[in-house]
Amino acid sequence: MNKMLTPAKTPTLEEMNLIKKFLDDTTLFLGPDPEIMQNHDLMPRTDIEDAAIANVNDAHTIAKIRDRIQSGCDEGYEMVEQMGAAPGAKWGDVITGVYSASGDLAIASAGGVLIFSALVHHPIKFIIKNWMNEPTVGVNEGDGFIHNDSRYGNVHNTDQSMIIPIFHKGKLVCWVASTVHEGENGAIEPGGMPSMAESPSDEGLKMSPFKVVENYQIKRDILTFLQNSVREPKLQYEDMKVKLFACLRIKQRIEETLNSDGPEALMATLRLTMENVRAEVKRRISEWPDMTVRSYIIQDSTLRENCVVKINCKLTKTGDRLIFDFRGSSPEFTNRATNTIVAGLKGMLAQVFLCYVWPDLPRGQAAFAPIEVITDPHSIVNCSYDAPNSQSLMSIFTGFTAGQHAVAKFLYSCPEKFTKVHAPTFNMINTFIWGGVSQHGETLGNLCADLNGMGAGATANRDGEHALAPIFATMADIGEQELNEEEVPFLQLVSKKMTRDAIAPGKYRGGQGYTMMVATKDSEQWGFMTTAQGAKIPPLQGLFGGYACGTYPLSKVKNVDVYDVLMNEPERFRHSIEEIMNEQPFDDADYSTHHMGMGFEISKRGELFMISQGAGAGYGDLLERDPENVIRDIEEGLISPEVAARLYKVVFDADTLAIDFDATEAARAEERQARIARSVPYAEFVKGWNQPKPPAHLQYFGCWGDDVGTLYMGSPEVTRRGNQPRPNYMMHPKDVRIAELEARLVAAGAMGDEKK
Amino acid sequence: MKRVSVDIGGTFTDCFVVWGQQYIETKALTTHHNLAMGFNEALGKACDTLGLGLEEILGEVDSVRYATTLGTNALIEHKGPKIGMLVTAGYEATVPLSRARGYGEGLDNLGQQDMPNAQRPDPLVEPHMIYGVRERLDFQGNMVMKLDEEDVRRQLRELVDRGAQIIVVALVNSVVNPAHEQRIEEIVLEEYPSHLLGAIPVILSHQVAGRKGEYVRATSAIVDGYLHSTMYHALSALEQNLRAHRYEKPMLVIHNSGGMAQLNSTDALQTIHSGPVSGIGASEHLSLQAELGNVVATDMGGTSYDIGIVVEGGIKHYDFNPVIDRWLVSVPMVHLVTLGAGGGSIASYDRMYKTVKCGPESAGSDPGPACYDRGGMRPTVTDADLLLGYLDAENYAGGSIPLNPRRAKAAVEDALCDELDCDVIEAAKLIREKVDDNMANGLFTELRARGYDPKDFTMLAYGGNGPLHCCGIAQNLSIDKILAPPLSSVFSAVGAGNMHQLHIHEQSLYMVLYDSNTRHIFDDYDRFNAIVSDLKEKGTQDLLRQGVPLDQIQHDLELDMRYGNQLVQTTAVIPSHEVHGPADVLAIISQFSNDYGKRFGEGSQAPEAGIRINTIRVAAYAKHETVKFEDIKPLPKPERKAPPAPQSHRTCHFVGFDQAFDTPVWARKDIAPGVEIEGPAIVASEVTTFLVNPGWTYVAAKQDASWFLRNEAPVTRH
Repeated sequence: MNKMLTPAKTPTLEEMNLIKKFLDDTTLFLGPDPEIMQNHDLMPRTDIEDAAIANVNDAHTIAKIRDRIQSGCDEGYEMVEQMGAAPGAKWGDVITGVYSASGDLAIASAGGVLIFSALVHHPIKFIIKNWMNEPTVGVNEGDGFIHNDSRYGNVHNTDQSMIIPIFHKGKLVCWVASTVHEGENGAIEPGGMPSMAESPSDEGLKMSPFKVVENYQIKRDILTFLQNSVREPKLQYEDMKVKLFACLRIKQRIEETLNSDGPEALMATLRLTMENVRAEVKRRISEWPDMTVRSYIIQDSTLRENCVVKINCKLTKTGDRLIFDFRGSSPEFTNRATNTIVAGLKGMLAQVFLCYVWPDLPRGQAAFAPIEVITDPHSIVNCSYDAPNSQSLMSIFTGFTAGQHAVAKFLYSCPEKFTKVHAPTFNMINTFIWGGVSQHGETLGNLCADLNGMGAGATANRDGEHALAPIFATMADIGEQELNEEEVPFLQLVSKKMTRDAIAPGKYRGGQGYTMMVATKDSEQWGFMTTAQGAKIPPLQGLFGGYACGTYPLSKVKNVDVYDVLMNEPERFRHSIEEIMNEQPFDDADYSTHHMGMGFEISKRGELFMISQGAGAGYGDLLERDPENVIRDIEEGLISPEVAARLYKVVFDADTLAIDFDATEAARAEERQARIARSVPYAEFVKGWNQPKPPAHLQYFGCWGDDVGTLYMGSPEVTRRGNQPRPNYMMHPKDVRIAELEARLVAAGAMGDEKK
Repeated sequence: MKRVSVDIGGTFTDCFVVWGQQYIETKALTTHHNLAMGFNEALGKACDTLGLGLEEILGEVDSVRYATTLGTNALIEHKGPKIGMLVTAGYEATVPLSRARGYGEGLDNLGQQDMPNAQRPDPLVEPHMIYGVRERLDFQGNMVMKLDEEDVRRQLRELVDRGAQIIVVALVNSVVNPAHEQRIEEIVLEEYPSHLLGAIPVILSHQVAGRKGEYVRATSAIVDGYLHSTMYHALSALEQNLRAHRYEKPMLVIHNSGGMAQLNSTDALQTIHSGPVSGIGASEHLSLQAELGNVVATDMGGTSYDIGIVVEGGIKHYDFNPVIDRWLVSVPMVHLVTLGAGGGSIASYDRMYKTVKCGPESAGSDPGPACYDRGGMRPTVTDADLLLGYLDAENYAGGSIPLNPRRAKAAVEDALCDELDCDVIEAAKLIREKVDDNMANGLFTELRARGYDPKDFTMLAYGGNGPLHCCGIAQNLSIDKILAPPLSSVFSAVGAGNMHQLHIHEQSLYMVLYDSNTRHIFDDYDRFNAIVSDLKEKGTQDLLRQGVPLDQIQHDLELDMRYGNQLVQTTAVIPSHEVHGPADVLAIISQFSNDYGKRFGEGSQAPEAGIRINTIRVAAYAKHETVKFEDIKPLPKPERKAPPAPQSHRTCHFVGFDQAFDTPVWARKDIAPGVEIEGPAIVASEVTTFLVNPGWTYVAAKQDASWFLRNEAPVTRH
């Protein structure tokens, strides 16, 4: 006789609470909290905030207090920039801010890296949720918390924050935080952004938010532990102190407001500031046309190997809702570092709006709060806890560009513009990360500030500016080599020279990048790495007929001491990559070209490493470019005469550069006719162009065609559903190479027994 | 003492003549085509007052001193020669790229944040006029690649063929080894000798700026080269004019370092901003003589609010990398901050925060505020001041600009009243409050960032709008004493009259006082002493060349120091100029630690990370006799006198008070020293309005100085 199975009884509320209590009490590990990490909107108003606003709500009083706190944040920012030891601090890779008692960023410094402003609220909310009532930790006056693990809310682990709570008469009223791109963090490669990381365990310090300051003093035992975990103990020490003192300076300003206006005025100011900004953003969105724009950007490597990785973006505006839909983007790489947590992507999208759409908006979390973002779980733009993300910039920046490109179409159609319609800015950190022992015997690990020289996109009425600013910060600095050379044992033999023909043409061309050539001089323990994409496929798209930028590989000359050449045969040296690689002027040297994902490599004295910054995208049809501007580009060394003639169809005298306007017009008319001749009806094009699956000879990742629900994973035969995560491992490039060589051995009949 | 000091501004040439016990202040319009005409006119007015002839005065004065903003104007107007530039090959784009951030230097915050609109200023050197020469030195000045002289000649000829009128040379690491720059100068002279037509001036970067930083040094040399001929010709013409009128002594030119030198010892770059810097010099002098203690000097005009700091003990605040117009340069300039707030600042509705915004956009003088009736339609601070009753519509600026209150009212109503749902007076009060808050915040940040507390300062308020807004600004700070200084209408010229002859020489270096790796304390005393001695000698020679007797030459030693690898360099003033043992080195370290802690907070010092000297600087100076002010301190309360009957009354409105005040108005000329007036009150002169807010007392002092004293202990608002 069959026994009747008793169906599981639905637990009562009381039972549910018991279960919850048990689970809460037996938590093994307080990892990143999805409830915190997936939400970028403002926390709900608290009762205390409600009461404060009921008592203090005069807009003019609030404005007065806000201005005062703003100048306090600016003062703190200046302190960090001035006192900071990290190169990042010196070039403005810093932010300071005041957060509400619930952890939302209300007011941020006017200068610095905006993306932090969209991220540091996560660790504060973690502290509030987990440490506030935890008897072994607690949050008390005089405390300070440190944090860097991106999975708890950060761009990457090289950024460190100091967070202090502010109390008034024993009650928490707000938080102050200061964040700096520190560089070195003890990862498997120096400099803090390892591209070799195959798991989070390779990424160096992973500080979940924890207490490191009590009674406003840094705890020496913890400081020692942190110093012991990184290559630059001096940097770790100096900048923890700097961040703490910057926070304390802002705290003074807040306390003065608390004393003069009271805690309610402060809390009302912070809350209303955020709510007002959020409401204004909704209003501005509502003025945009209702429509959908699709865009995508291709990453051409994981920094370890070349492959094709899609960042897919659909931007839809309906009413006062604006939705970024990144579904269809590549699955996360289980053992590659180019993934990002979704908060990082959102932070960078916030930058699109605060610097490129509505630059008048105050900086803070509220500016992006009402904008929605959809992603696939465990995708390259929303990676899981177990995926490395130390090179998240690759996906953050290409995600930014996909967004920037899509937004431009809305801006074009928007009645009220707050800035110019523009083509995308260059988005890769083409610079040298370096590390080793300096000429002064110090162990260092960091990078050249030249990443701040990204070329600007062209706008609707003029060329883009060369090497203007990185997409993640304004007023950033590419620095002075004379000062750098005092600290590091290598020279930039070519430091700032425009790279000829590294262009993004258009009616208005993008701003261009410049060449860097470095060679180690005064150390036997020194090396470089580069971490960028775009050596094979441009990481941008042009706008309205303008072109994307070029591609920018890494070139090396080995087996040479260029310093010997400079002293003894200086006439052999050339100051451009083009000449050195084409003419190969140094006898017996090895010349090679690579993608820009060079893992850390020890460099011998005098070996040359050469790269170029990239160009912003072009705007409009290049056949409409004023011929005089084309000739000016030749004069300034931006393009070669060949490019001027071939691309822009300008006819001119090779010696005098005098333009033949009639011949130019004729050449352009001819090219227009040729375009028509090359063209086919759209349906015919689609029929001939579309393929059902990605090609088998390329490792392709992401959706293909209109089906965004299916993600390819390196092969036409391997897929996953967007919402059903699967591991996505890449072979070690050396194993790939070994396999290739073994196959060749087998083919040659020379394979031994060792690989049976 | 008999002395003439002049401040040649963009609009007016101010003249201050000391003739024994008589102090005469005069003004004339600046005559840009020939500065001597404006100068002669201004001095002529002083002659009339004294009943003397021009030659009589110039024949007897001990010196004639000039401060001028001509250089600044020439930069803004972009008037200069075609510059050709030689740089280290591989660095050709250093200047055009302006460290990336050059697009935003000199702009307000919005200009810096708005990336699609970011645009670098028109270059002073066109990119195609910058050529690289094949050479290279390392950070210690060691040769990496020798100078290719043939390459230099080739590049030079090409630049000249392209029309270069002046050559600027800026090579990497030239401050530690200038040999290559010097050799290029020789080559230029060989190719284009000075006795030939077509001789070309050469500017070497290491001679213009002594600090490391190839970009800022290059821009310094460029600005210097760009202004060289303009300044040289204008100032030479002035000197010839003086000679023609019996002035036999050397003409002295005020420098932005806060000192002065003869014309032939002056770089054009050193003259930029010398007018406002002279104002700070006057504040310093006044502070010493009147025992004011710490002073924050504020100059509020039509478009800007300048802030300078003078503290007790003689610590100078310099900017070593100031922004001049839109260019970041390397020159030790007296620290001066300019905020975009003035009478012309435009007010608008802040839709997001439902309140009033004010500035940084300005209506300037053309069209100017709406009440100027010159076409301005947007409300400004001056419009608000008029509506609140502070300004006399018929006698503004001595009656030269009649004001139209109806225009002001219409502008404020149109822009603000509907949006704010308030009447025009309420809106005007909000404008007033906002602009005063902006200035207070700027001032507060300025002081705090240097480790000072505003409550320890006396505010000096000058400029056309300074005395009108000073109470409103101080209201928000803990400052309870404001002085509208004597001779304020020619205050910069007064400062010029009190400068000392001064030359600053500095050397960038890598000198480790404490090496945290080896735990070694600096012991190369001879190196330190030799560098200091060399810099002192350079300054001494500068002054000897100008006829200063050796026994009058003094030196100050300053070290720019830092912990570890910081960016910031804190200046330590070192009383002892030589080191002979560990105790001397530790004394320097201790001095640095004190100064650093004061600025950034006690405990923020990080000696464990190592301590370095980046720059050694020596100021060589010779003190001159200074102008004596009378005792301008306010009389003690019991000794103060009551004012005469007011000239009139006006209805005025004040921030923080709902009711209007029937406010008495006096003419400044009717108020004798020692007279006390309780606020609210207005004291009007031809050049400014002294607005005494409720809660403040006005006290007149000698030499037309005016005090504003807060009646009660202030409530701290910051």
